[in-house]
Amino acid sequence: MQIIGEKINGTLQEVKTAIRERNASFIRDLARRQVEAGAALVDVNAGTRPDEEPDALSWLAKTVQEAVEVPLCLDSANPHALAIALQEIKQTPMINSISGEPSRLDGILPLVSRHGCSVIALAMDENGIPKGVNERLTVVRRLMDRTRDAGLPDEKVYIDPLVMAISTNTEAGVIALETMRAVRAEFPEAHLCAGLSNISFGLPARHLVNRVFLTLALAAGLDAAILDPFDRELRGEMLAAELVLGRDRHCLNYTRSYREGRIGHKRNPG
Amino acid sequence: MADLTELTRSMADLDKKRVLGLVEEKLKRRVPPLEIVKELNDGMIEVGNRFTACEYYISELMFSSHIYKEIMTTLEPLLGHVEPDKTAGTVVIGTVKGDIHDIGKNIVVTLLRNAGFKTIDLGVDVPADKFVVALRETGARVLALSCLLNLAIQEMKNVVEALIAAKIRDQIKVVIGGQPIDEKICEYVGADDYGADAPAAVRICKQIYGQ
Repeated sequence: MQIIGEKINGTLQEVKTAIRERNASFIRDLARRQVEAGAALVDVNAGTRPDEEPDALSWLAKTVQEAVEVPLCLDSANPHALAIALQEIKQTPMINSISGEPSRLDGILPLVSRHGCSVIALAMDENGIPKGVNERLTVVRRLMDRTRDAGLPDEKVYIDPLVMAISTNTEAGVIALETMRAVRAEFPEAHLCAGLSNISFGLPARHLVNRVFLTLALAAGLDAAILDPFDRELRGEMLAAELVLGRDRHCLNYTRSYREGRIGHKRNPG
Repeated sequence: MADLTELTRSMADLDKKRVLGLVEEKLKRRVPPLEIVKELNDGMIEVGNRFTACEYYISELMFSSHIYKEIMTTLEPLLGHVEPDKTAGTVVIGTVKGDIHDIGKNIVVTLLRNAGFKTIDLGVDVPADKFVVALRETGARVLALSCLLNLAIQEMKNVVEALIAAKIRDQIKVVIGGQPIDEKICEYVGADDYGADAPAAVRICKQIYGQ
Protein backbone atom coordinates (compact mmCIF):
# COMPACT_ATOMS: atom_id res chain seq x y z
CA MET A 1 0.00 0.00 0.00
CA GLN A 2 1.22 3.49 -0.84
CA ILE A 3 1.60 5.67 2.24
CA ILE A 4 1.08 9.37 1.67
CA GLY A 5 2.58 11.21 4.65
CA GLU A 6 0.07 13.69 6.04
CA LYS A 7 2.16 15.70 8.48
CA ILE A 8 3.01 18.79 6.43
CA ASN A 9 -0.41 20.34 6.83
CA GLY A 10 -0.82 24.03 7.58
CA THR A 11 -3.93 23.40 9.65
CA LEU A 12 -1.61 21.88 12.30
CA GLN A 13 -0.38 24.60 14.62
CA GLU A 14 3.38 23.83 14.47
CA VAL A 15 3.34 23.58 10.69
CA LYS A 16 1.21 26.73 10.42
CA THR A 17 3.88 28.63 12.37
CA ALA A 18 6.72 27.13 10.32
CA ILE A 19 4.99 28.20 7.10
CA ARG A 20 4.30 31.69 8.41
CA GLU A 21 7.94 32.09 9.48
CA ARG A 22 9.29 30.26 6.41
CA ASN A 23 11.15 27.87 8.73
CA ALA A 24 12.75 25.69 6.04
CA SER A 25 14.69 23.37 8.34
CA PHE A 26 11.52 22.41 10.23
CA ILE A 27 9.74 21.47 7.00
CA ARG A 28 12.75 19.66 5.54
CA ASP A 29 13.15 17.62 8.71
CA LEU A 30 9.45 16.72 8.80
CA ALA A 31 9.58 15.60 5.17
CA ARG A 32 12.73 13.53 5.63
CA ARG A 33 11.45 11.76 8.74
CA GLN A 34 8.16 10.84 7.04
CA VAL A 35 9.99 9.27 4.12
CA GLU A 36 12.31 7.39 6.50
CA ALA A 37 9.17 6.09 8.25
CA GLY A 38 7.90 4.69 4.96
CA ALA A 39 5.99 7.46 3.18
CA ALA A 40 6.03 6.95 -0.59
CA LEU A 41 4.72 10.48 -1.16
CA VAL A 42 4.69 13.61 0.97
CA ASP A 43 1.45 15.61 1.11
CA VAL A 44 1.86 19.38 1.37
CA ASN A 45 -1.04 21.57 2.43
CA ALA A 46 -0.43 25.29 2.94
CA GLY A 47 -3.49 25.86 5.15
CA THR A 48 -3.34 29.61 4.56
CA ARG A 49 -5.85 32.19 3.39
CA PRO A 50 -6.53 31.87 -0.37
CA ASP A 51 -4.51 34.99 -1.26
CA GLU A 52 -1.45 33.68 0.60
CA GLU A 53 -1.72 30.16 -0.75
CA PRO A 54 0.25 30.29 -4.07
CA ASP A 55 3.36 31.63 -2.34
CA ALA A 56 3.07 29.28 0.64
CA LEU A 57 2.43 26.17 -1.46
CA SER A 58 5.35 26.99 -3.80
CA TRP A 59 7.65 27.52 -0.87
CA LEU A 60 6.57 24.21 0.67
CA ALA A 61 7.14 22.36 -2.61
CA LYS A 62 10.60 23.89 -3.07
CA THR A 63 11.59 23.23 0.54
CA VAL A 64 10.40 19.62 0.74
CA GLN A 65 12.20 18.78 -2.52
CA GLU A 66 15.46 20.01 -0.95
CA ALA A 67 15.15 17.18 1.58
CA VAL A 68 13.54 14.19 -0.16
CA GLU A 69 13.34 12.60 -3.57
CA VAL A 70 9.85 11.08 -3.42
CA PRO A 71 6.99 12.71 -5.30
CA LEU A 72 4.90 15.39 -3.62
CA CYS A 73 1.16 15.30 -3.16
CA LEU A 74 -0.01 18.90 -3.71
CA ASP A 75 -2.99 19.39 -1.44
CA SER A 76 -5.12 22.35 -2.59
CA ALA A 77 -8.50 23.14 -4.12
CA ASN A 78 -7.13 26.37 -5.58
CA PRO A 79 -6.14 25.97 -9.27
CA HIS A 80 -4.06 29.16 -9.16
CA ALA A 81 -2.03 27.97 -6.15
CA LEU A 82 -1.52 24.58 -7.84
CA ALA A 83 -0.39 26.18 -11.11
CA ILE A 84 2.20 28.32 -9.31
CA ALA A 85 3.45 25.43 -7.15
CA LEU A 86 3.73 23.13 -10.18
CA GLN A 87 6.44 25.45 -11.54
CA GLU A 88 8.67 24.36 -8.63
CA ILE A 89 8.12 20.64 -9.09
CA LYS A 90 11.04 18.43 -10.14
CA GLN A 91 9.25 15.09 -10.16
CA THR A 92 5.71 14.40 -11.42
CA PRO A 93 3.49 14.96 -8.40
CA MET A 94 0.08 13.79 -7.27
CA ILE A 95 -2.66 16.42 -7.09
CA ASN A 96 -5.01 16.30 -4.14
CA SER A 97 -7.74 16.66 -5.39
CA ILE A 98 -10.47 16.94 -8.02
CA SER A 99 -14.13 16.14 -7.54
CA GLY A 100 -17.25 16.17 -9.66
CA GLU A 101 -17.79 19.86 -8.82
CA PRO A 102 -17.52 21.68 -12.17
CA SER A 103 -15.32 24.50 -10.84
CA ARG A 104 -12.86 22.04 -9.34
CA LEU A 105 -12.88 19.68 -12.32
CA ASP A 106 -12.62 22.41 -14.96
CA GLY A 107 -10.02 24.31 -12.99
CA ILE A 108 -7.71 21.47 -12.00
CA LEU A 109 -8.07 18.62 -14.50
CA PRO A 110 -6.29 20.59 -17.29
CA LEU A 111 -3.29 21.05 -14.94
CA VAL A 112 -3.35 17.34 -14.12
CA SER A 113 -3.37 16.24 -17.74
CA ARG A 114 -0.87 18.87 -18.90
CA HIS A 115 1.72 17.74 -16.36
CA GLY A 116 0.82 14.03 -16.44
CA CYS A 117 0.11 14.00 -12.71
CA SER A 118 -1.65 11.33 -10.77
CA VAL A 119 -4.74 12.71 -9.09
CA ILE A 120 -6.96 12.00 -6.12
CA ALA A 121 -10.62 12.14 -7.20
CA LEU A 122 -13.30 12.68 -4.55
CA ALA A 123 -16.56 10.81 -5.10
CA MET A 124 -18.74 13.91 -4.77
CA ASP A 125 -20.07 16.74 -6.93
CA GLU A 126 -21.92 20.07 -6.73
CA ASN A 127 -24.84 18.30 -5.04
CA GLY A 128 -22.68 17.54 -2.04
CA ILE A 129 -21.70 14.21 -0.58
CA PRO A 130 -23.71 11.33 -2.09
CA LYS A 131 -25.71 9.51 0.56
CA GLY A 132 -25.23 5.90 -0.49
CA VAL A 133 -23.02 3.55 -2.47
CA ASN A 134 -24.93 3.75 -5.78
CA GLU A 135 -24.97 7.54 -5.72
CA ARG A 136 -21.21 7.61 -5.13
CA LEU A 137 -20.66 5.18 -8.01
CA THR A 138 -22.67 7.44 -10.32
CA VAL A 139 -20.34 10.34 -9.50
CA VAL A 140 -17.24 8.13 -9.86
CA ARG A 141 -18.34 7.00 -13.33
CA ARG A 142 -18.76 10.60 -14.44
CA LEU A 143 -15.34 11.46 -13.03
CA MET A 144 -13.67 8.55 -14.78
CA ASP A 145 -15.29 9.61 -18.08
CA ARG A 146 -13.71 13.03 -17.63
CA THR A 147 -10.25 11.75 -16.66
CA ARG A 148 -10.26 9.31 -19.57
CA ASP A 149 -11.37 12.08 -21.94
CA ALA A 150 -8.47 14.15 -20.65
CA GLY A 151 -6.10 11.36 -21.67
CA LEU A 152 -5.34 10.12 -18.16
CA PRO A 153 -4.83 6.36 -17.83
CA ASP A 154 -6.89 4.82 -15.00
CA GLU A 155 -3.68 3.99 -13.08
CA LYS A 156 -3.17 7.70 -12.52
CA VAL A 157 -6.52 8.10 -10.77
CA TYR A 158 -6.84 7.58 -7.01
CA ILE A 159 -10.51 7.47 -6.11
CA ASP A 160 -11.47 8.65 -2.63
CA PRO A 161 -14.73 6.93 -1.65
CA LEU A 162 -15.41 9.64 0.98
CA VAL A 163 -15.07 8.31 4.47
CA MET A 164 -17.55 10.00 6.80
CA ALA A 165 -17.62 10.06 10.58
CA ILE A 166 -19.30 7.10 12.22
CA SER A 167 -20.31 9.25 15.16
CA THR A 168 -22.80 11.05 12.93
CA ASN A 169 -23.92 8.03 10.90
CA THR A 170 -23.57 4.44 12.08
CA GLU A 171 -23.53 3.26 8.45
CA ALA A 172 -20.56 5.43 7.47
CA GLY A 173 -18.04 2.57 7.64
CA VAL A 174 -20.18 0.13 5.67
CA ILE A 175 -20.91 2.73 2.99
CA ALA A 176 -17.21 3.52 2.58
CA LEU A 177 -16.21 -0.14 2.42
CA GLU A 178 -18.93 -1.12 -0.04
CA THR A 179 -18.10 1.87 -2.24
CA MET A 180 -14.48 0.69 -2.29
CA ARG A 181 -15.50 -2.83 -3.31
CA ALA A 182 -17.77 -1.54 -6.05
CA VAL A 183 -15.13 0.86 -7.43
CA ARG A 184 -12.47 -1.86 -7.32
CA ALA A 185 -14.74 -4.20 -9.30
CA GLU A 186 -15.71 -1.64 -11.94
CA PHE A 187 -12.37 0.17 -12.33
CA PRO A 188 -9.74 -2.46 -11.62
CA GLU A 189 -6.84 -0.33 -12.84
CA ALA A 190 -7.70 2.73 -10.79
CA HIS A 191 -6.48 3.12 -7.22
CA LEU A 192 -8.45 3.67 -4.02
CA CYS A 193 -7.16 6.27 -1.59
CA ALA A 194 -8.62 7.54 1.65
CA GLY A 195 -7.70 9.61 4.69
CA LEU A 196 -7.93 7.47 7.78
CA SER A 197 -8.96 9.84 10.50
CA ASN A 198 -12.42 10.97 9.34
CA ILE A 199 -14.01 7.71 10.38
CA SER A 200 -13.28 8.22 14.06
CA PHE A 201 -14.08 11.93 14.30
CA GLY A 202 -15.96 12.77 17.48
CA LEU A 203 -15.28 9.47 19.23
CA PRO A 204 -12.90 8.54 22.03
CA ALA A 205 -9.83 6.28 21.49
CA ARG A 206 -9.75 7.30 17.82
CA HIS A 207 -6.69 5.20 17.03
CA LEU A 208 -8.65 1.99 17.67
CA VAL A 209 -11.31 2.93 15.16
CA ASN A 210 -8.78 4.17 12.58
CA ARG A 211 -6.78 0.96 12.69
CA VAL A 212 -9.74 -1.37 12.40
CA PHE A 213 -11.00 0.72 9.51
CA LEU A 214 -7.62 0.49 7.75
CA THR A 215 -7.60 -3.30 8.03
CA LEU A 216 -11.13 -3.63 6.69
CA ALA A 217 -10.42 -1.07 3.96
CA LEU A 218 -7.33 -2.97 2.81
CA ALA A 219 -9.54 -6.03 2.39
CA ALA A 220 -12.06 -3.93 0.43
CA GLY A 221 -9.45 -2.74 -2.06
CA LEU A 222 -7.77 0.33 -0.54
CA ASP A 223 -4.24 0.63 -1.90
CA ALA A 224 -3.19 4.12 -0.86
CA ALA A 225 -3.84 6.15 2.27
CA ILE A 226 -3.09 9.56 3.68
CA LEU A 227 -1.92 8.89 7.19
CA ASP A 228 0.59 9.53 9.97
CA PRO A 229 3.71 7.59 9.01
CA PHE A 230 5.04 7.96 12.58
CA ASP A 231 2.24 5.84 14.01
CA ARG A 232 4.19 2.67 14.77
CA GLU A 233 1.15 0.61 15.82
CA LEU A 234 -0.64 1.59 12.62
CA ARG A 235 2.34 0.57 10.52
CA GLY A 236 2.49 -2.81 12.24
CA GLU A 237 -1.21 -3.42 11.71
CA MET A 238 -1.00 -2.37 8.09
CA LEU A 239 1.85 -4.79 7.37
CA ALA A 240 0.05 -7.58 9.24
CA ALA A 241 -3.15 -6.93 7.27
CA GLU A 242 -1.30 -6.99 3.94
CA LEU A 243 0.38 -10.18 5.05
CA VAL A 244 -2.89 -11.89 5.93
CA LEU A 245 -4.44 -10.69 2.65
CA GLY A 246 -1.75 -12.54 0.75
CA ARG A 247 -0.01 -9.40 -0.50
CA ASP A 248 3.39 -10.00 1.12
CA ARG A 249 5.23 -12.72 -0.77
CA HIS A 250 7.14 -15.07 1.50
CA CYS A 251 6.18 -12.67 4.30
CA LEU A 252 9.33 -10.75 3.38
CA ASN A 253 8.07 -7.22 4.04
CA TYR A 254 6.74 -8.25 7.42
CA THR A 255 9.84 -10.11 8.63
CA ARG A 256 12.23 -7.46 7.28
CA SER A 257 10.29 -4.67 8.97
CA TYR A 258 10.37 -6.60 12.22
CA ARG A 259 14.13 -7.19 12.02
CA GLU A 260 14.66 -3.50 11.31
CA GLY A 261 12.74 -2.74 14.49
CA ARG A 262 10.04 -0.85 12.60
CA ILE A 263 7.13 -2.95 13.85
CA GLY A 264 6.38 -5.00 16.94
CA HIS A 265 7.51 -4.16 20.43
CA LYS A 266 10.37 -1.75 20.57
CA ARG A 267 13.49 -3.73 21.28
CA ASN A 268 16.94 -2.56 22.36
CA PRO A 269 19.48 -2.65 19.48
CA GLY A 270 22.17 -5.35 19.54
CA MET B 1 -28.59 16.37 39.88
CA ALA B 2 -30.59 16.12 43.11
CA ASP B 3 -33.42 18.36 41.95
CA LEU B 4 -33.93 16.84 38.50
CA THR B 5 -37.08 14.83 37.89
CA GLU B 6 -36.89 11.19 36.90
CA LEU B 7 -37.86 12.05 33.32
CA THR B 8 -35.16 14.70 33.10
CA ARG B 9 -32.60 12.31 34.51
CA SER B 10 -33.62 9.52 32.11
CA MET B 11 -33.35 11.93 29.18
CA ALA B 12 -29.92 13.04 30.39
CA ASP B 13 -28.88 9.39 30.73
CA LEU B 14 -30.20 8.68 27.20
CA ASP B 15 -32.35 5.87 28.57
CA LYS B 16 -34.80 5.91 25.65
CA LYS B 17 -37.00 3.07 26.93
CA ARG B 18 -37.43 4.73 30.32
CA VAL B 19 -38.05 8.13 28.76
CA LEU B 20 -40.79 6.77 26.48
CA GLY B 21 -42.33 4.85 29.38
CA LEU B 22 -42.39 7.89 31.67
CA VAL B 23 -43.89 10.16 28.99
CA GLU B 24 -46.67 7.64 28.36
CA GLU B 25 -47.33 7.31 32.07
CA LYS B 26 -47.45 11.11 32.56
CA LEU B 27 -49.84 11.55 29.62
CA LYS B 28 -52.15 8.92 31.19
CA ARG B 29 -52.07 10.89 34.45
CA ARG B 30 -53.05 14.04 32.48
CA VAL B 31 -49.84 15.87 33.24
CA PRO B 32 -49.90 19.00 30.97
CA PRO B 33 -47.86 18.29 27.81
CA LEU B 34 -46.02 21.61 28.18
CA GLU B 35 -44.73 20.47 31.57
CA ILE B 36 -43.49 17.21 30.07
CA VAL B 37 -41.68 19.17 27.33
CA LYS B 38 -40.03 21.36 29.97
CA GLU B 39 -38.69 18.29 31.81
CA LEU B 40 -37.37 16.91 28.51
CA ASN B 41 -35.73 20.24 27.70
CA ASP B 42 -33.98 20.22 31.07
CA GLY B 43 -32.70 16.76 30.20
CA MET B 44 -31.41 18.04 26.85
CA ILE B 45 -29.58 20.87 28.61
CA GLU B 46 -27.89 18.31 30.86
CA VAL B 47 -26.90 16.28 27.75
CA GLY B 48 -25.35 19.45 26.33
CA ASN B 49 -23.47 20.00 29.59
CA ARG B 50 -22.07 16.48 29.53
CA PHE B 51 -21.02 16.93 25.90
CA THR B 52 -19.25 20.19 26.78
CA ALA B 53 -17.53 18.38 29.65
CA CYS B 54 -16.36 15.71 27.14
CA GLU B 55 -18.28 12.96 28.93
CA TYR B 56 -20.65 12.52 26.02
CA TYR B 57 -19.56 12.28 22.40
CA ILE B 58 -21.12 13.55 19.18
CA SER B 59 -22.95 10.28 18.64
CA GLU B 60 -24.64 10.67 22.02
CA LEU B 61 -25.57 14.27 21.32
CA MET B 62 -27.22 13.12 18.11
CA PHE B 63 -28.99 10.25 19.87
CA SER B 64 -30.50 12.72 22.33
CA SER B 65 -31.90 14.75 19.41
CA HIS B 66 -33.26 11.54 17.92
CA ILE B 67 -35.09 10.62 21.17
CA TYR B 68 -36.39 14.17 21.55
CA LYS B 69 -37.71 14.34 17.98
CA GLU B 70 -39.47 11.00 18.38
CA ILE B 71 -41.27 12.12 21.54
CA MET B 72 -42.18 15.49 20.03
CA THR B 73 -44.09 13.73 17.22
CA THR B 74 -46.42 12.50 20.00
CA LEU B 75 -46.44 15.68 22.07
CA GLU B 76 -46.53 18.39 19.39
CA PRO B 77 -50.18 17.74 18.36
CA LEU B 78 -51.16 17.89 22.04
CA LEU B 79 -49.55 21.28 22.55
CA GLY B 80 -52.07 22.94 20.27
CA HIS B 81 -51.29 26.62 19.79
CA VAL B 82 -48.89 26.83 22.68
CA GLU B 83 -45.26 27.00 21.55
CA PRO B 84 -42.56 25.51 23.76
CA ASP B 85 -40.45 28.25 25.25
CA LYS B 86 -37.97 29.52 22.64
CA THR B 87 -37.46 33.05 23.87
CA ALA B 88 -33.69 33.05 24.24
CA GLY B 89 -33.36 34.65 20.79
CA THR B 90 -33.10 33.79 17.13
CA VAL B 91 -29.89 32.78 15.34
CA VAL B 92 -29.45 32.30 11.60
CA ILE B 93 -26.68 29.78 10.99
CA GLY B 94 -25.05 28.02 8.06
CA THR B 95 -21.84 26.79 6.45
CA VAL B 96 -20.73 29.31 3.82
CA LYS B 97 -20.69 28.74 0.09
CA GLY B 98 -17.81 26.59 -1.13
CA ASP B 99 -17.78 24.43 1.98
CA ILE B 100 -19.99 21.44 2.82
CA HIS B 101 -18.66 20.47 6.24
CA ASP B 102 -21.43 20.60 8.84
CA ILE B 103 -20.74 18.46 11.89
CA GLY B 104 -19.45 21.39 13.95
CA LYS B 105 -22.31 23.59 12.80
CA ASN B 106 -24.83 20.89 13.70
CA ILE B 107 -23.39 20.60 17.19
CA VAL B 108 -23.77 24.37 17.63
CA VAL B 109 -27.39 24.16 16.39
CA THR B 110 -28.18 21.36 18.86
CA LEU B 111 -26.62 23.20 21.81
CA LEU B 112 -28.36 26.48 20.83
CA ARG B 113 -31.74 24.74 20.62
CA ASN B 114 -31.13 23.06 23.97
CA ALA B 115 -30.41 26.50 25.40
CA GLY B 116 -33.76 27.80 24.19
CA PHE B 117 -32.67 29.60 21.02
CA LYS B 118 -34.68 29.51 17.84
CA THR B 119 -32.25 28.48 15.09
CA ILE B 120 -32.69 28.94 11.35
CA ASP B 121 -30.25 26.39 9.95
CA LEU B 122 -29.64 27.12 6.27
CA GLY B 123 -27.45 24.06 5.78
CA VAL B 124 -24.21 24.01 3.83
CA ASP B 125 -22.77 25.73 0.75
CA VAL B 126 -24.98 28.74 1.52
CA PRO B 127 -24.58 31.81 -0.72
CA ALA B 128 -24.40 35.26 0.87
CA ASP B 129 -27.77 36.49 -0.37
CA LYS B 130 -29.54 33.53 1.27
CA PHE B 131 -28.19 34.64 4.66
CA VAL B 132 -29.38 38.21 3.98
CA VAL B 133 -32.89 37.04 3.08
CA ALA B 134 -33.13 34.83 6.18
CA LEU B 135 -31.99 37.66 8.46
CA ARG B 136 -34.52 40.08 6.94
CA GLU B 137 -37.38 37.56 7.14
CA THR B 138 -36.76 36.41 10.71
CA GLY B 139 -35.47 39.59 12.34
CA ALA B 140 -32.68 37.55 13.91
CA ARG B 141 -29.93 39.63 15.49
CA VAL B 142 -27.22 36.98 15.27
CA LEU B 143 -25.65 35.45 12.18
CA ALA B 144 -23.42 32.44 12.82
CA LEU B 145 -21.11 31.37 10.01
CA SER B 146 -19.26 28.07 9.90
CA CYS B 147 -16.49 26.63 7.76
CA LEU B 148 -13.76 24.02 7.81
CA LEU B 149 -11.83 24.89 4.63
CA ASN B 150 -9.42 27.81 4.36
CA LEU B 151 -10.92 28.87 1.06
CA ALA B 152 -14.22 29.55 2.83
CA ILE B 153 -12.61 32.37 4.80
CA GLN B 154 -12.87 34.67 1.79
CA GLU B 155 -16.51 33.71 1.42
CA MET B 156 -17.17 34.70 5.05
CA LYS B 157 -15.75 38.12 4.20
CA ASN B 158 -18.11 38.22 1.20
CA VAL B 159 -21.08 37.52 3.48
CA VAL B 160 -20.15 40.41 5.78
CA GLU B 161 -19.85 42.65 2.76
CA ALA B 162 -23.27 41.51 1.56
CA LEU B 163 -24.72 42.57 4.94
CA ILE B 164 -23.13 46.00 4.49
CA ALA B 165 -24.49 46.30 0.95
CA ALA B 166 -27.96 45.32 2.23
CA LYS B 167 -27.64 48.04 4.90
CA ILE B 168 -28.29 45.61 7.76
CA ARG B 169 -24.73 45.14 9.07
CA ASP B 170 -25.31 47.43 12.07
CA GLN B 171 -28.31 45.45 13.23
CA ILE B 172 -26.57 42.08 13.13
CA LYS B 173 -23.86 40.52 15.26
CA VAL B 174 -21.73 38.18 13.14
CA VAL B 175 -20.14 35.24 14.93
CA ILE B 176 -17.86 32.85 13.07
CA GLY B 177 -16.42 29.45 13.85
CA GLY B 178 -14.60 26.49 12.36
CA GLN B 179 -11.24 24.81 12.18
CA PRO B 180 -9.15 27.62 10.63
CA ILE B 181 -10.79 30.47 12.53
CA ASP B 182 -8.76 32.59 14.92
CA GLU B 183 -8.61 36.21 16.03
CA LYS B 184 -6.66 37.37 12.95
CA ILE B 185 -9.17 35.74 10.64
CA CYS B 186 -12.08 37.16 12.61
CA GLU B 187 -10.58 40.62 12.02
CA TYR B 188 -9.95 39.91 8.33
CA VAL B 189 -13.49 38.72 7.79
CA GLY B 190 -14.98 41.68 9.67
CA ALA B 191 -16.93 39.50 12.11
CA ASP B 192 -17.85 40.64 15.62
CA ASP B 193 -16.62 37.55 17.42
CA TYR B 194 -15.56 33.97 16.96
CA GLY B 195 -16.25 30.78 18.91
CA ALA B 196 -13.28 28.47 19.45
CA ASP B 197 -15.72 25.61 20.00
CA ALA B 198 -19.46 24.94 20.11
CA PRO B 199 -19.99 25.81 23.80
CA ALA B 200 -18.13 29.10 23.21
CA ALA B 201 -20.49 29.90 20.34
CA VAL B 202 -23.50 29.36 22.61
CA ARG B 203 -21.96 31.57 25.33
CA ILE B 204 -21.43 34.36 22.77
CA CYS B 205 -25.04 34.11 21.56
CA LYS B 206 -26.26 34.28 25.16
CA GLN B 207 -24.11 37.37 25.78
CA ILE B 208 -25.43 39.09 22.66
CA TYR B 209 -29.02 38.49 23.71
CA GLY B 210 -28.18 39.80 27.16
CA GLN B 211 -28.38 36.67 29.26
